[in-house]
Parts: sequence; structure tokens; C-alpha cells
Amino acid sequence: MDSLHAIGFYVSAALAGVGGILLAFLHGHWHRGLALGAFGLGVAGIYMSLSAGFAAIVVLVCYIGCALLVARPDYRTVEQAARGLWRQIGAVGAALLVVALAYAAFRGRFTHATFYGGPFNSVSVARLLFAHDALATEAVAGVVLIALVGAAVAWRRERPRDEREGRR
Amino acid sequence: MTVTVTLVSVLFVAAGLTALGAFVAAWKRELTAALTGLPVMFAGAGVAFVGVARFGATSGAPLLGQEVAVLLAITALAAIGLGIGLAGRETSR
Repeated sequence: MDSLHAIGFYVSAALAGVGGILLAFLHGHWHRGLALGAFGLGVAGIYMSLSAGFAAIVVLVCYIGCALLVARPDYRTVEQAARGLWRQIGAVGAALLVVALAYAAFRGRFTHATFYGGPFNSVSVARLLFAHDALATEAVAGVVLIALVGAAVAWRRERPRDEREGRR
Repeated sequence: MTVTVTLVSVLFVAAGLTALGAFVAAWKRELTAALTGLPVMFAGAGVAFVGVARFGATSGAPLLGQEVAVLLAITALAAIGLGIGLAGRETSR
């Protein structure tokens, strides 16, 4: 990997990190949608610098879709029942998680292999998706179908009681 | 000066993104905002898979990590759609 790709990796990682931090601390769903879009752009840049161009395009499309869902105008809020103490315990748990994962990455012994794939690899990944691991692809397609049907049913707008009873 | 990326640095970034997603999910008081931590965690896992496919895959299907990253991104989109739809169902209109 040359220096240009390495710089692209670190810049993209910084963009993803900043997007994630903004996602945690910004108020307003419109701002969070923008932060999620920036995060997706950063993750796509990471994938692109790691010679995964096809995965980068899919990730960019999916995360822009997530950002549009979060930023849509008829967004509704649900307050969580958890108290502040549990939220703080969760935050401390996240900090412990990063320490544990970073320690495992630092102490691990990894083999180093030469990468022979190209920068985009769409044919190879598609061959994996639709031939070698077709069952996994179909399972994820089933999950997506169930999620879309569930979201459509759940999002169905109920008419107000006055309208149902014929009063205006 | 040469700037390099190794598997360890990729795994550091993946660890940071996964923990950041867990932090978002735990910290946000609003349930639909906490749901946005899920794609961040999935992205962290995807970065780890792509990094292993790029630097550490020695045998078998070398692009398996990229495939898993694609599937994780699609699953994240489905989870966000379902979660926001269900959250809209729970609130008064």
C-alpha cells in the first residue's frame, strides 16, 4: 500500500470518527442525518483505500439511505425508559469495549498475506454473493424483506378518531 | 517519510468505530436516536472484515471479508428502516 492510499485511509477514518462523535452529541434529527451521511462517506473512503471499491459503493448507498431515513421530516421520537445511571454505565462499557478490542488488536499475532485482488473486485464479490455464499445472501434478503414489510405496516398512518367517526 | 497502514491500525479503527456505536446506542436518551448507533457498530465490524480480507487472508476465498461488509451494510439499512417504522408506530399521531 502506497502513502497516498494510507493517507486516504487515515483521513477517511478521521471523517468517520468525527461523524460518529457528531452523531452522538448533536441534537435534532436533521443534524444527525447529516452526521450519519458524513460517517458513511468516511467508511466508504476506508473501504476504498483498502481495495474494496464495490463494498464502498454499497456502503455509501446504504448509509445515505440510513441518513435520509433519520432526517425525514415526519420523524417521530420515542423517549427511552432507562435512567441516567444506566446510560452512564453503558458509556463506561463502551469505553471498556474499545480498550479491550484495541488491546486484542495490539497483542494479537496476525499473518501477513499479499493481496492479489484489484481495487474494485465487483466480479469476485458478486461471484461470492450469488454463487459461493448464495444462502447467506438469500438470508439477508429475507431479513431485508421482513424489515421493509414490517416498516411499511408499522408506518401506516392511522386516521384520527374524529375522522374515523365522520366528524371533521 | 512513508505512511503505511497495517492490519493492526485497521483493527484499531474498527475497535474505535464499534465502541463509538455502542456509546451512541447507550448514551442517547431518545430511542430512535440510539438506534443510529447500530449502523456505526456494523461499520466497525465491516472495517475489521475488510481489513482482514486485505491484509490477512491467506487461503480460501480472499474476498470473503468484503462480502460480509456488503451484507452488514444492507442489514444496517434494513434495521434502521424497521426501527424507525416501529418507533413511529409507538408514538401518538
